[in-house]
Amino acid sequence: MFFYGFMQRAFQASFIIALIAPVLGLFLILRRQSLMADTLSHVSLAGVALGLLINVNPTVTTLLVVVAAAILLEYLRSLYKSYSEISIAMLMSGGMALALVLMGLGAGSSTVSIQQYLFGSIVTISSQQVALLAVLGVMILALYVLFRKPLYVLTFDEETAFTAGLPIKWMSIAFNVVTGVAIAVIMPIAGALLVSSILVLPAAIAMRLSKRFDLVIIVGMVIGLIGMFSGLAVSYEVGTPPGATIALIFILIFMLITAWKKARMLMKRKKNASLADH
Amino acid sequence: MHYIEVEDLSFHYEDEPVLQNITFTVDPGEFVILTGENGAAKSTLLRNVLGLLKPATGTAKISPINIDQEKLALGYIPQQVASFNAGFPSTVLELVRSGRYQRGKWFKRLSKEDHEHVERSLKAVGMWDMRHKKVGDLSGGQKQRISLARIFATDPDLFILDEPTTGMDSSSRRAFYELLKHNSEVHKKGILMVTHDHEDIKAYADRHIQLIRKENSPWRCFSMDSCKEPSKHPSLSH
Repeated sequence: MFFYGFMQRAFQASFIIALIAPVLGLFLILRRQSLMADTLSHVSLAGVALGLLINVNPTVTTLLVVVAAAILLEYLRSLYKSYSEISIAMLMSGGMALALVLMGLGAGSSTVSIQQYLFGSIVTISSQQVALLAVLGVMILALYVLFRKPLYVLTFDEETAFTAGLPIKWMSIAFNVVTGVAIAVIMPIAGALLVSSILVLPAAIAMRLSKRFDLVIIVGMVIGLIGMFSGLAVSYEVGTPPGATIALIFILIFMLITAWKKARMLMKRKKNASLADH
Repeated sequence: MHYIEVEDLSFHYEDEPVLQNITFTVDPGEFVILTGENGAAKSTLLRNVLGLLKPATGTAKISPINIDQEKLALGYIPQQVASFNAGFPSTVLELVRSGRYQRGKWFKRLSKEDHEHVERSLKAVGMWDMRHKKVGDLSGGQKQRISLARIFATDPDLFILDEPTTGMDSSSRRAFYELLKHNSEVHKKGILMVTHDHEDIKAYADRHIQLIRKENSPWRCFSMDSCKEPSKHPSLSH
């Protein structure tokens, strides 16, 4: 399968996504915004529909719409501080509704293209998309290395971060915008419906394996690589949709690790009980 | 100079006044306690001082510089800090180290001196042996202690503490007050602390600000007990 150019590009794209997903995913989880990726991918569909409607490159309209939504999300989050998921629910349904209305205005001619964005297609990825992903990957990893300490404190507690002199509002907006840009770039590859699982699941699994903050991201990258590569290989051999196969493999890894941790805990308890008996 | 300067501050929740005519200062080397019955808007007052809430009228200012004319470092412990995110994937050591970041280390490696500071802070609260534990696996009391270790690791010029001794036994509480007193007296730190612990603290605090509800004010509105403020040597000083 490595002889085919489309598979080579698919593996290259997967490699980059696997490296950036846990960085964004971990902060999304800890900021209780796991569903933000889902929201922004729904909103990005509105960007695609808008691009198709007004005959502008959908990548450009998607980027603009997603960045606007990412800023709006932070505003809504500040309105409902204790219930930040409200902002997510509002924008998710709003984005989807806008996409459907714009598609309706497009008189059905763009249905096929919209379907491509809904489900994604990692095997039809172009070399330009890989290049764009590479730029995004370098940008996100550089931002993480540079800002990991402020981000750690911001994620631990926003008020502590504020009193330590960090510009928390701007940092939150910048984080949302970077996530939005990442989603706009990854969405045509992974699909609007599955992009959040690819972003969030590797970090969620890694959180169960490591107790150190910096290690969680590295473990998440390893899990991302295993899930993405094996998902691609399985989908090639069996003929299943790549995005969905990758998401299912992540869920399988999560179940295996949870079962292993549970079994280890039970064995430990049993050992302690038998020691106490003697 | 004043580290904290609050002048004629009032704060409203929507249209309802909850704080009125609050005026006080906290100077370098002063240990000031803030008390009041439950719901007396003590935390609200702290949050106004910190800039997390905006006063309706009046001002609350924190000095941007310390007594050495350098950037003032602020250490804040919010109420119920022990309830922080149970799943936060971080070790005790990572969390306490993060207290040093605001000492000019956001974009620099921690120095040997920073690491020594962290070690001393963890040892001072008896948590050095637990440094590799995940913070989410600690008990409420242990989380409280690492929050204190984090703030001591920062070594701030001004401490703003919201009921930091909740859940501590009386001997740990006294040791903590002792440490604060030492910081204010010897190292000229400013301290503003919300507490319910009126009796134990008497021997340590320099000044006592009490929020009370005056007879003619709305049921939720509190102001200062002027008998104990702004006197520099009130009944609670030792």
